[in-house]
Amino acid sequence: MPTITIFKQDLEGLLAGPGEARQPMTLEQIEDSLMLVKGELKGQNPDTGELRIELQDSNRPDLWCCEGIARQIRVKRQGSLPKYGFLSTKPQSPKQLNVTPGLEKVRPFVAACTATGYRVTKDGLAQLIQTQEKLAEMFGRKRRTVSIGLYRLAAIEFPVTYDLVKPDEAAFTPLGMDTVMTLGEMLLVHPKGLEFGGILAGQDRLPFLCDAKGRALSFPPIINSREVGEVRVGDDALFVEVTGTDLSMVVLTLNIFAANLADRGAVIEPIEVRYPYKTDLGETVMTPQDLGRSRTLPVHTIEQALGQTLGVHEVAKALVAYGYEVTTEAEQVTVTLPLYRQDLMHAMDVVEDVAISRGYADFLPVMPSQFTVGGLSRIEDFSDRVRALMVGMGFQEIISNILGSPQDLRDAMRLEGTEWGQLVEVDNVMSLNFSALRQWMLPSLLRVEAASNRAFYPHRIFEAGEVARPDSAQALGSRTVMVLGGMIAHADAHFSEIHSCLDTLFYYVGQAYSLEPVQHPSFLAGRAGSILSEGKRVGVIGELHPEVLERWQISVPAVAFEIDLTQLAERP
Amino acid sequence: MDISSLIDSLHPLEVKVLSTFVSNPSAVLQTEQLAQSSGLEPSQLSMAVEWLLAKSLLAVDTEVVTPMVSLTKVGEQYVEKHSPIERVLAAAREAATTGKRLTIQDIQSREGLEPAEVSGAIGRLKKEGALLIIQGGCLESTGRPSPTAEAIRGLLQQVHEMPREMQTFSDAQRQIIQDHAVKRGNAKEPFRIDDRVARSLKLSAAGMEAAQQLSKQGVLEEVSQLTTELLKDGSWRTKRFRKYTISLRAPRIAPGKKHPYREFLDTVKTKLVSMGFQEMRGPLVETEFWNMDALFMPQFHPARDIHDVYFVKEPKQATSIAEPFLSRVAQAHQDGGATGSTGWNYPFDVARARRLVLRSQGTAVSAHTLAAQPAVPGKYFSIARCFRYDQVDATHATDFFQVEGIVLGEDINFRTLLGLLNLFAREVAQAKEVKFLPAYFPFTEPSVEMHVRHPKLGWMELGGAGLFRSEVTLPLGVTVPVIAWGLGLDRMAMVALGIHDIRELFTDNLDLIRSTKGAL
Repeated sequence: MPTITIFKQDLEGLLAGPGEARQPMTLEQIEDSLMLVKGELKGQNPDTGELRIELQDSNRPDLWCCEGIARQIRVKRQGSLPKYGFLSTKPQSPKQLNVTPGLEKVRPFVAACTATGYRVTKDGLAQLIQTQEKLAEMFGRKRRTVSIGLYRLAAIEFPVTYDLVKPDEAAFTPLGMDTVMTLGEMLLVHPKGLEFGGILAGQDRLPFLCDAKGRALSFPPIINSREVGEVRVGDDALFVEVTGTDLSMVVLTLNIFAANLADRGAVIEPIEVRYPYKTDLGETVMTPQDLGRSRTLPVHTIEQALGQTLGVHEVAKALVAYGYEVTTEAEQVTVTLPLYRQDLMHAMDVVEDVAISRGYADFLPVMPSQFTVGGLSRIEDFSDRVRALMVGMGFQEIISNILGSPQDLRDAMRLEGTEWGQLVEVDNVMSLNFSALRQWMLPSLLRVEAASNRAFYPHRIFEAGEVARPDSAQALGSRTVMVLGGMIAHADAHFSEIHSCLDTLFYYVGQAYSLEPVQHPSFLAGRAGSILSEGKRVGVIGELHPEVLERWQISVPAVAFEIDLTQLAERP
Repeated sequence: MDISSLIDSLHPLEVKVLSTFVSNPSAVLQTEQLAQSSGLEPSQLSMAVEWLLAKSLLAVDTEVVTPMVSLTKVGEQYVEKHSPIERVLAAAREAATTGKRLTIQDIQSREGLEPAEVSGAIGRLKKEGALLIIQGGCLESTGRPSPTAEAIRGLLQQVHEMPREMQTFSDAQRQIIQDHAVKRGNAKEPFRIDDRVARSLKLSAAGMEAAQQLSKQGVLEEVSQLTTELLKDGSWRTKRFRKYTISLRAPRIAPGKKHPYREFLDTVKTKLVSMGFQEMRGPLVETEFWNMDALFMPQFHPARDIHDVYFVKEPKQATSIAEPFLSRVAQAHQDGGATGSTGWNYPFDVARARRLVLRSQGTAVSAHTLAAQPAVPGKYFSIARCFRYDQVDATHATDFFQVEGIVLGEDINFRTLLGLLNLFAREVAQAKEVKFLPAYFPFTEPSVEMHVRHPKLGWMELGGAGLFRSEVTLPLGVTVPVIAWGLGLDRMAMVALGIHDIRELFTDNLDLIRSTKGAL
């Protein structure tokens, strides 16, 4: 979900179209219109007209820029999308871009066009750069699948070559530097080389773009040449290229740039890309190119999903007003997405666009009417009963994080190297404090006790909740278990006090139990027991070991028990 | 205060003192007489007398101040070990018989006396002519007696027996006593002179009335506590129960109670059950398959990054994933399979699907339910603990509850989805005004974000929902439309609980947990 910056006056200008007078909008109008693009106004600066907008749809990269937002709103206002001329007019002798053999194994695809007649403004340049960055970062997976280059057309002679060279075979002055470097050197020292060099790891030859005179354009997907590849305010002739590993994504990205520049008044001239190998679009590919595949669906499907009868005409009208090309026939529509979209995977994607185009407010909510019986799971129900009993015995309930540290969950409990100390641990640790799932409840209770020596005594606390225990017999390698932990802490806390609570609890849940002495490192020897029920260990009870209390910096005695609710709840 | 409530407010000690006057209300009694007839300890008596004086029920008739002489601790020691003046004189006399030279230092060290004590004694003896200081600072006895030394011996003996009135001593003795009495700045003296106050007390007019009243109602013994014995033998009838000052602050207790946030979630749970939802549960550790693949999130989706999800260290992968779900989901990702979708068009990685993660979204629980032949029509919910790879701060918690669920049925469509959300708005947030906005979730289409006008909070986002994509439902074996919904309740909970930091929902501060009231 990218968040982008646009300028209000730029948006208004794009809504009016090149050369037309812009109509100022209020913020409310803008916020309303943003529904069409699943956008949310996150912030604004009334002095500069700056607007921060979050775009939700990760499948609509065309909307991650001012041009795209304006286009979607404009289409709705005008009722349809005018056809982009550059898609149908094939130039007599198109400019060419030749691809060198071997790139199919490195970075196979490229698409390019020129844009002339639009003088780049400050706002326009800011959008070009932001779009380039957002698309390469989020749609192009950090330039891995798609990266984009913009150049000053005047300095380029065609045909351009998408070449493959050894690291020391080509050299130029990259953006952000003032000396000539080889491609190999750029990977080693240029910030972008360091950041994105991993994409080309293991390649002994590297992608390189140069013009007919051998002048360097760029080292895709790393960095442009400073000489040719730095667009400035006032430039009125641009060359745009996109390279990558997925042909349809590469073409789509170029289509978005072409549409954006055309919307600003530029004339787009397609370029013919000539591959020495086969691609899904052939060996000679004109770009930009409309990849839209048509899809036919019954109006009934759409009406059923929306729960509303609309009729073929209304459906078609809504889709056309959202940028689709639509033909109708009896009770079905055949739809094609505009060139800047490729997100039509399923009929339901069309359904949503009908709803958005008409506006969600157009659909009257209807209550689902079918009868269903509500209820809790057996374990939740059991746990609720047990919680009520604990409350009745004067215990205060607490809630804790399930993620904790091995230090708290195991080491401070003296459980290193024991069966009780086995943990489900996190691999990609961000903070040691949140690096393992709790395997039992007592550390959660001790955490509260350790922080609460100012709260008046006695302390009687409990928590019923989930823990995770490693278990190699499970497909997941662990089991999620609901347990109950209870603890009493005060100057005279004693085994029999907590034992009474356990006894009462078992009485009221209607199950029998017995205690069997256990050597558990967290408890004082001779004052700890395994809780047995129907021959199974279902928990542990005892006086906390002084060393455990010391490690938690607790200075009153504490007694506690823990029982496995999952096991008890499953019994008939 | 009228007389009967005045009597009710009297402490038992006060009643005892007043009662001694009952037989003779105009009597003037000495403190000693009062002590005798009331049978109270001196300390109790003096407390009761002070209270009654303060209440103006008792008045002082006469007050006689008598100076009394008694021994201090030092004085008691002198009785046994003799006073410094006696010891200095004795040492000088002994030196005279043996002919040894005696210096001041000798005396000091031999007798263990303080320099001030020695010099005081020598000064007095010299003045009385019993001692000379000769060349070299040596002391020499003159053989003459010291009246002071002799008088002190006598006085120590006399006062040692018991304190005596100052008047009973002669002028000369009084002088000596005064010279050797503790005064400010001079604590090491044998005598103490104290004023003994002898008071005679009588009833005030109000006191007489109270005493009369007391005698009239008969003096019931006052008790502070009703006991089993009093009830058993019926003797409570002859007792008066002391009245309490009930306006005092009550002592604190810590009741057993639910955690306020948990109570909030319980209320939500109850509401959902009352709306016909069945609870579902799932494991904390999930496969990427159920957490993401089954929800049609492509394996290259940015939210599946190492920076968004917690991965499990050991084991790293599940041993298996149930079929036919694995194959069908893989197919849906690759080319849509039988779902009517084009799919994501990439090679699905089964090893990746088996990777273990900490559940990052409650929707994983719904995915399991879809695969487990759910009821149609059916409504399900879960309040699932989820984990997000986030820096913890006031608005981000690393583990949190997600309230989410599904609704299956032949009648499910976009409008019934909105109807269901309306119901949530009314039941859960008590909101009458609702706004629906287009939204994006990888697993639903169409998708909705619901904003409601909360009675206290104003417009807020309450949740997100949508119809599950066919790419989600069909591979899991569900052929009817399904609503997927999720509610964001933490903000409501925080306001209800009066906290501003999401970390406080899981606070370790017992005082805060105890004192926070319930919510919703």
